[in-house]
Amino acid sequence: MTRITKLALSIAVLTSVMLPSAARAADIEGTVIIKRRLTKRRVTAPVGAYQRGVNVELPSGPGGDFLAFERARVVVYLEGEFPSHPATATLEQKDRQFVTDTLVVPVGSTVSFPNRDPIFHNVFSLSKPKTFDLGNYPKDHTRTVSFSKPGIVFVNCHLHPNMAAAIVVSPNQWSVKADASGHFVLTGVPPGNYTIVAWHRAAGFFRQRVRVAQDQASTVEFTIPLDENGDPKVVAQR
Amino acid sequence: MRFATRTFLFSFVPFVLLLLASFWAMQKLVEHTVRDSLRSSLRQTHASVARVRSNSELQNSRFLKILGENATLKAGLQLLLAAPKSLEARRTVDDQLREICEKLSFDFLLVSDPDGSPLAGVMRVGEQLVGMDIARIRPPQRGFLSVGERAYQVVSTPIDQGDENIGILSVGAPFDFSEFTTPAVLTRHGKVLKSSIPGIAPEEVEAALKNCKDQAECEMRLRGETYISLPMNSIYFGEGYVLRSLQSIDAATGPVQGILRNVFGIAGFGALLATALISVLSAQSIVRPIAGVVAHLRESERTGLLPEFKADPARIQEIRDLTESFNRAASAIREARESLYRAYVEFVGSLASALDARDRYTAGHSRRVSELSCAIARALQVKPKELDDIRIGALLHDIGKIGIADEVLQKPGKLNNEEFALIQQHPTIGRRILEGVHGFQDYLPIVELHHENWNGSGYPLGLHCEATPLGARIVHVADAYDAMTSDRPYRRGMSHEQAIRTLQQYAGTQFDPEIVPVFAKLMAIEAKRMSADATQVHLLPRVVNGNPVPPVPWISDARDI
Repeated sequence: MTRITKLALSIAVLTSVMLPSAARAADIEGTVIIKRRLTKRRVTAPVGAYQRGVNVELPSGPGGDFLAFERARVVVYLEGEFPSHPATATLEQKDRQFVTDTLVVPVGSTVSFPNRDPIFHNVFSLSKPKTFDLGNYPKDHTRTVSFSKPGIVFVNCHLHPNMAAAIVVSPNQWSVKADASGHFVLTGVPPGNYTIVAWHRAAGFFRQRVRVAQDQASTVEFTIPLDENGDPKVVAQR
Repeated sequence: MRFATRTFLFSFVPFVLLLLASFWAMQKLVEHTVRDSLRSSLRQTHASVARVRSNSELQNSRFLKILGENATLKAGLQLLLAAPKSLEARRTVDDQLREICEKLSFDFLLVSDPDGSPLAGVMRVGEQLVGMDIARIRPPQRGFLSVGERAYQVVSTPIDQGDENIGILSVGAPFDFSEFTTPAVLTRHGKVLKSSIPGIAPEEVEAALKNCKDQAECEMRLRGETYISLPMNSIYFGEGYVLRSLQSIDAATGPVQGILRNVFGIAGFGALLATALISVLSAQSIVRPIAGVVAHLRESERTGLLPEFKADPARIQEIRDLTESFNRAASAIREARESLYRAYVEFVGSLASALDARDRYTAGHSRRVSELSCAIARALQVKPKELDDIRIGALLHDIGKIGIADEVLQKPGKLNNEEFALIQQHPTIGRRILEGVHGFQDYLPIVELHHENWNGSGYPLGLHCEATPLGARIVHVADAYDAMTSDRPYRRGMSHEQAIRTLQQYAGTQFDPEIVPVFAKLMAIEAKRMSADATQVHLLPRVVNGNPVPPVPWISDARDI
C-alpha cells in the first residue's frame, strides 16, 4: 500500500465517521470490574531474606489495594482506524524502573525515554509493531522512538532485566487508561456501532460491542477476567 | 641409727618411691593418651571440614558458572570495558552486582578484568551492601581474601563472551568457624585475622602462636592453659594463610587427672598408712628378738657377770646362733675367770701358809681365822663380794708380820715395850706390802684395821665403834678366838668355853657387841654338830696333847694377836 492510497483511505474513513460526530458526538463511559488478582506477583522473597532469618511478608499488592493496581493498568480503546492525533509522551527510567510501566499513545506518536538514574540504562523492544534498540546511555540522556503501527510494544532494558513497560499504540485517538477505581471515559465518540477493547497485561484482550447514540453517553462494563456466566462474545487473547 | 629405724626406712621408703613413681608414670601415660586422642580428633575435624568444603566448593563452582553466564552482567561488563573511565558505567556494574547480591544473598561479589585487576565489587557490612575499595584488592582464583578486618573465602569464575574472556567474577562468603567443633584461628603471616576462642583477644592468641611454625603442629599456652594446635593442611587457603584448630589439653586431661588424683589420694594414702603400719610391725618383729639379746648383754655389762641365755629369746636361727655362741663364750670366760680366781686364792692361801709356817705355834692360824670369819659373815648375811673380801682379807690379815724379826716374834718370854711397839706395827706393814699389789685394795681395811677396838683403844688408828669396817671387826673377833684357843710356847691354849666367855666379857669394849653373840651362837651350833659327828673337820680348837688348854688371859701376850 502506497502512502497516497493510505492517505486517501484515511481521509475517506475520517469523513464517513467524523462528519456526523462532529455534529453530535457523545462519550462512552465505563467501569472496569476486577474481582481478583491478575498480575502474578513475586511469590518468593529474596534468598537473602530467608537466610537472614527475617520474617518474610510477601507483598499483597501495591499500596495495599491490589485491585486498584490492576484497574490502573487496564487500557481501553476503540477498534478501527480513524484519523489520529499523534502526541508526544515520555517514559522515564527512574530507580531502575520504567515510569510508567503502562503507557497508551495513539498511533503515530513519539515517545522519549529519558534516563533519570545515575547509571546506564538501555531500552529495547522486540515486539512486532516496533522493534528497536536504543543502546546504553547514561543519565539525562534521552532517545526517542515514534510508533507508526498500532499494537502493543513491550519495552525492556538489557542491563536491568527487571525493568519492563508496555506501550499500547492505539489505532486512533480514543484510547485511555482506567483510573484506580476502574472508571474511564472516551470523549467525543461519533454515534455508531463500535468494538470497544479492554486490555490488561496479564489478562489479555476483552472486546464488547457498543452503540453510541447522539448526545447520549453510552455505558460499558468490563468484568475482567470473565464473569461467572462466561460471555462467549468476549474472547481473551493476548 | 637404731635397727628399728633402719628396718622401717628400708621397707617404707622404697614403697613410697614406688608409689610416687607409679603415680607419675600413670599421669604421663594419661596425658600422652589424651594428647593422642586430641590430635586424632583434631585431624578428624579437619577431614570432615575438608570434605564439607570440597562438596560445597563443587556445588559453588557449578552455581558460579551459571552466574558467570548472566547476560545482563555481561552487558554491563562490556559497557564498562567500552568506557573504562566512565563513572556511570562503573556505577551501573556496581548496581548490577548489588542486585545480584541482594537477590542471591551473596556477601561478597567482585568483577575483575581479564588481567585480574578488579573493576567493581560490593560486600555486605551488617545489613548494608557497600562498595569495595577495589584499588587494594587482588582476588585469588580460590582461597582466602582479607578485606579490611574481614576474611572471605573466595571462588572465581571467568566471564566469557563467545570465545573472548571479558572478565572474572569472584564470589566470596565470610569465613566463619561454624564447621569447626573446636576453637580455631585463622592467621596470615602470623597475624591473627579471626579467632573463635571464646573470651580471648586476638592479640593474646597471636602472642601465644609466635612459637609455632607455619605448617607444623605445636603446643601453645593461653591464659595458663595448654592447647594443642594443628594446622589444616588438607586445603590450600592461599599464600600465607594458615587455619589452625585448637584443643585444650588441660580441659581434656583435667577430669581424668582429677579422678586419678582422687584415686591416688585415697588409695595412696591407704597404701602409705598400711605400709607404715606393716613397716613398723616388721621392724618390731625383727628388732624384738635382738632387743632381748641387747637387754641381756646390757644387763651383763652392768653387773660384770656373764649369765647365759636361759632359753631361746626367739625362734630365729641367727639369734639362736648368736645366743649359743654368746653362751659358749660366756662360759669359757667364766671358767677362765674362776680358774684365775682359784689360782689367786690358792696363791693368797700359800702366802698365808708361808707366813704361818714361820712358827709352829701359829701354823694354820690364817686359814682358821679366814674360815671363822667367813662363818660369821655368812651368819650376818653379808653380800657375796664382801664375803670374798673377808675370806681373802682374813687369809692375809697378818701378812705384815713378815716385816717383824723372828727374835721379836718368836721370843719365848715376855715382850718389853719396845718389842711390843714393833709387834703393833704389823697391820701398817701389811697394808704397805699389799698397797702396791693391784687388785688387793679391797683387803686393805681388814689387814690394816683388824686390831681396832670397839671402844677406840685399838691400833693403829684407834677407831671407835662402826668407824672400823665390818670385815675388820669380824676378823678381830675370829683372830682373838683362834689366838686364845691356840697353844703358845709360854702357855697353853684356852678351852672353847673360856674363849667364848672372854669374848663375851670384852664385847662392847674390845669387840663389836653384835658380832660376839652371833659368833657364840655359831660356835654352839658347831659344838653340837661336832659331838654328833667326830670325824668332821671343825672350827673348834684342837686339843693339844689330849688336855684342854688352861685359861690364861689371852691379852697378856701381844704376839698372839
